[in-house]
Order: sequence, then structure tokens, then C-alpha cells
Amino acid sequence: MNTLLEVKNLKVRYGNIEALHGISFDVKEGEIVTLIGANGAGKSTTLMSICRLPPPEAPRVTEGDILYKGQSLLNMPPHKVVSDLDMALVPEGRRIFGNLTVEENLKLATYARTDGHEHIAQDYERVYQLFPRLAERRKQRSESLSGGEQQMLALGRAIMTKCSFLMLDEPSMGLAPLLMYDMFRTLKELNQGGLTILLIEQNANLALRFAHRGYVLDTGEIVAHGTSEELLADPEVKKAYLGG
Amino acid sequence: MEIFQNILNALQFGSFYALIALGYTLVYGVLRLINFAHGDIFMVGAYLAYFVAVTLLGIGGLNLGLHVDPALALAITVPATMILTALVGVTLERTAYRPLRRKGADRLYVVITALMAGLVLENGNLALLGASRKRFPDLIDKVIWNLGGVSVTNLKVVVIVAAIAVFLMLQFIVTRTKIGMAMRGISYDKFAIPLMGIPLDTIIVVTFVLGSAMAGLAGILFAMSYPILEPYMGALIGWKAFIAAVVGGIGDIRGAIVGGFMLGFIEIGVVAVFPSTLRDLFAFSVLLIILWLRPTGIYGVAQTTKI
Repeated sequence: MNTLLEVKNLKVRYGNIEALHGISFDVKEGEIVTLIGANGAGKSTTLMSICRLPPPEAPRVTEGDILYKGQSLLNMPPHKVVSDLDMALVPEGRRIFGNLTVEENLKLATYARTDGHEHIAQDYERVYQLFPRLAERRKQRSESLSGGEQQMLALGRAIMTKCSFLMLDEPSMGLAPLLMYDMFRTLKELNQGGLTILLIEQNANLALRFAHRGYVLDTGEIVAHGTSEELLADPEVKKAYLGG
Repeated sequence: MEIFQNILNALQFGSFYALIALGYTLVYGVLRLINFAHGDIFMVGAYLAYFVAVTLLGIGGLNLGLHVDPALALAITVPATMILTALVGVTLERTAYRPLRRKGADRLYVVITALMAGLVLENGNLALLGASRKRFPDLIDKVIWNLGGVSVTNLKVVVIVAAIAVFLMLQFIVTRTKIGMAMRGISYDKFAIPLMGIPLDTIIVVTFVLGSAMAGLAGILFAMSYPILEPYMGALIGWKAFIAAVVGGIGDIRGAIVGGFMLGFIEIGVVAVFPSTLRDLFAFSVLLIILWLRPTGIYGVAQTTKI
């Protein structure tokens, strides 16, 4: 399998504070990889660094490299990462445009697409098929959606940008268990359709049951990695992250 | 018949306020920034129109030896002024606001920068061109129609039609196009815009282009209606347009047009009844009362706090 994303010895700072002390990991085509760890371990920082979000929100990379299909992302503007490399991020807290309707949110996500009306129409159909609730609420202002529906919209929006590599930051946050399982089932389906996924989760149990491989992040360093089965069986990981 | 005359005049004044208010409201709607330099962009627009016009007519400006027919000169001056004024607006954004945005400066400092930028434009003009006023050349023959005692000039009609056409165009852009959606999206969550593959700075530049071009259009129409230009001409009218935008509900295109026309009607209405020295006092007091009753303006909604 080809390596899609390769993070090499990444060191990242917020102001004077180093948040990542040289982490390395990779994601191969077709995989689901998860980064697990406690609050403040540097999980979101890692995703923000990959997405090159504009300063001052973004962490500053001081050392190391981030390669996508062998190409360094470090000098790439954030919108190009999405529009030219077909990567997408569903950020923490969803960050949908609450003042726009559901339909407008999805339409906005197609802004930079150049692959023609037919493909875009197909993707609309796919999103509405995956999430019939969104189709019902097309004309509704999106801030009036429930948390679960907002998460669907955030994922739908990522699909509409045409992505082959999807990053998710805490998609389970604030969702009722039933909705959470639905969401993960949908993600699994998308993965089986060829989408590569990098998932960040605090709910390590859930994440490892869903992913092929995982990395454990602790205060800016990777302390363990392996297949999901290995990590689920690891006594240290069990003790620290899986509740015994 | 006097009432109809007053209505026409109110519509004309309201059109100027509305055209300028649209620029305030566009930039505010996208960046949550009150671009206090916008009134002076209008002044720059009037001066640019003057230089383009006199150059074309061969009566000043750059001596290119041109002697263009006034009607053709007008046809060139309007788009040229809008483009040049848009460039001034974009330059302002690049040199003054963008660096602050990059550094994550607090909004207060950006507003102070905007006020300073306005003063730089006013005083830069004064330093460059001196204190003498400029007389804007006549580009069209004034036609006056007498409709049952109401005198309607072709220029007044043009001004009112222009304001309404600009409003309809901007309303279409903001509500129907992807660029407009991106503009509205930025105001809600700037962070998420690049995640949609959208270049944030491009959308901001488009916003300044639209707002400044409309100020340029207002500048040329104003100069044709009141052909005396001076460096501070944008200050008071800029303030009034800003207040019109706030009363209408800043951030909403409809608010700018309603607020602008409302201010026009209040001003003309006051003068029709009271001595003209009371005009601004009454106008601003009425607007204060409207804001007191409805602090978010007519079309405004209270901003919800985000997580």
C-alpha cells in the first residue's frame, strides 16, 4: 500500500511553548488510522499543523516535515491543501456556517472544485443519501440543526469538497451513543469506498475498534503504536486509556 | 406639489447615503470591521473622477492632448473611476488591515487603523493638491423636466436608478453566488473558510473591491450633482452613511439601502418644516431613538455567541 501522509519528526510551537516534541507517524492509502490520547496531548495540534491553518490560530512548525504523496505541505496555503490535494478536515466543534442554510453549506464546499457539474451532482446525491435528514432540512438555517445533524453536515461538507483523505477531530463529541455509532458506521462505509481516514478521538475504545492502526500521543510525544488489536491488548494502553 | 419635490430630493440624498452605506455594510458583514476610512474612499473616488474627466476633456490633469466629447468622457470616467477607487480600497486592505489580521490584532486596533487611514487620505489629498477646491466639469447637459410643478433633472433620476441597481446587484451577489456565500460564511466562522478550499484573502479582496467601487460610483455621481470638490467632503457624508448602515442593521445589504433612504427622508423632512440649521441635530436624534428602540438596527439580528 502507498503511504499517503507521512509526518516526520514534527516539532510544533504555540508561542514559546513546544506542543509537539518531534512526532512521526504515517497513514497509508485506504487505511483508518487513529491518534488517541488525553486532553492536551497534542492531537488537535497535529491536525491543525497538517492543515496549515493560517496564523495566528495555527501552531508554528519549527522542525520536521509533513509529506502528502511525497510533497511537503509546509509551504502550502491552507485552502490549497483542500482544493489541490483533496484533503479535508472535519474540525473539532464542527464549525459549520450557522448563518447559512444546509444547502448553502454544502454548496460553499464545492467552491474550488473544477471537476464539473456531473461529479458535483453525484456528490450531492451521495450526501443526501447518506444523511436523509440533511435532505429534509435543506432550506433550514444550519444553526437550528441538532448536534447530530450538525455533525452530519460537517461530514457532508467534507465530502462536497471532494476528498480522498479525511481527517476528523473528535467526531463523537457531544453525540448521543446511538448517533455516534451511526456516524462511525457511515465512516466505515466511506472507508470501504476508498476514503483514507485519520481520526482523532478521546474515546480510545471506540476509536481503536473502528481503526486499523493507532498511535498513542502523550504530552507531545508518541508513546505507543501498533495495530488496533495490539493496542487494545497492550496492558499499559489499557490501563491509561481504556479504563483498566 | 412641494411634497413630491421633497420626496424626489430625499430619494436623491438617500441614494448617496445608501451607495456609501453599502460599502460599510459589506466590509462589516465580512470582517466585522467598521472601515472608517470608507467615507474618504468616497472622496478619493470623486477626485479620481475629476482627474479622469479633465484629462479626457483636455482641460487639466495629465496633459495627453485629448479632447474627448463630454458624453464619451462620461462613459469612460464612470468605469475608470470605479476601477481606480477599487484599487485604492484594495491597497488600503493590503497595507493597513491585512498585516493586522495576520498578527491577530484585536478589532479595536483595526478600527483605530481605519480612522487613521481616513485621516491620512484626507490630509494626503490636502498636502498633494492644496487647499483650493476643484470644480468638476459638466459631463452631461442638464435636462429638467417639469412634471406638474415638480422639477425632475436627468441627473437625479440617474442617481436614484444607480443606487437601486447597485443594491439589486449586490443583493444578488451576496445571497445567490458562491462568493456571496463565502462572504457570509467568513462573518460566521473565518477559521472554517480555508477548510472549504476557499482562499480567505481573495474573498476579502472581492469585498473591498465591491465596496470601494460603489463608493467610487457615489463619488462621481456626487461630483456631477454638486460639482465642488474638497478634501474633507467625505468626512461628514461618510459618518452619515455609516449611521444609516447601523440604523438599517449593519452587515445586511437591505439595511444599508433602507437606512440610507430613511436618513434622506428625515433630513429633507426636517428642512421642510424647521430651519435648515436644525437638520443634522434632528436627523441624528431620530436615528438615536431608532437605535434605542432597536439596537441591532432594522434588519440586524443580535449576534449569537459561538462556541
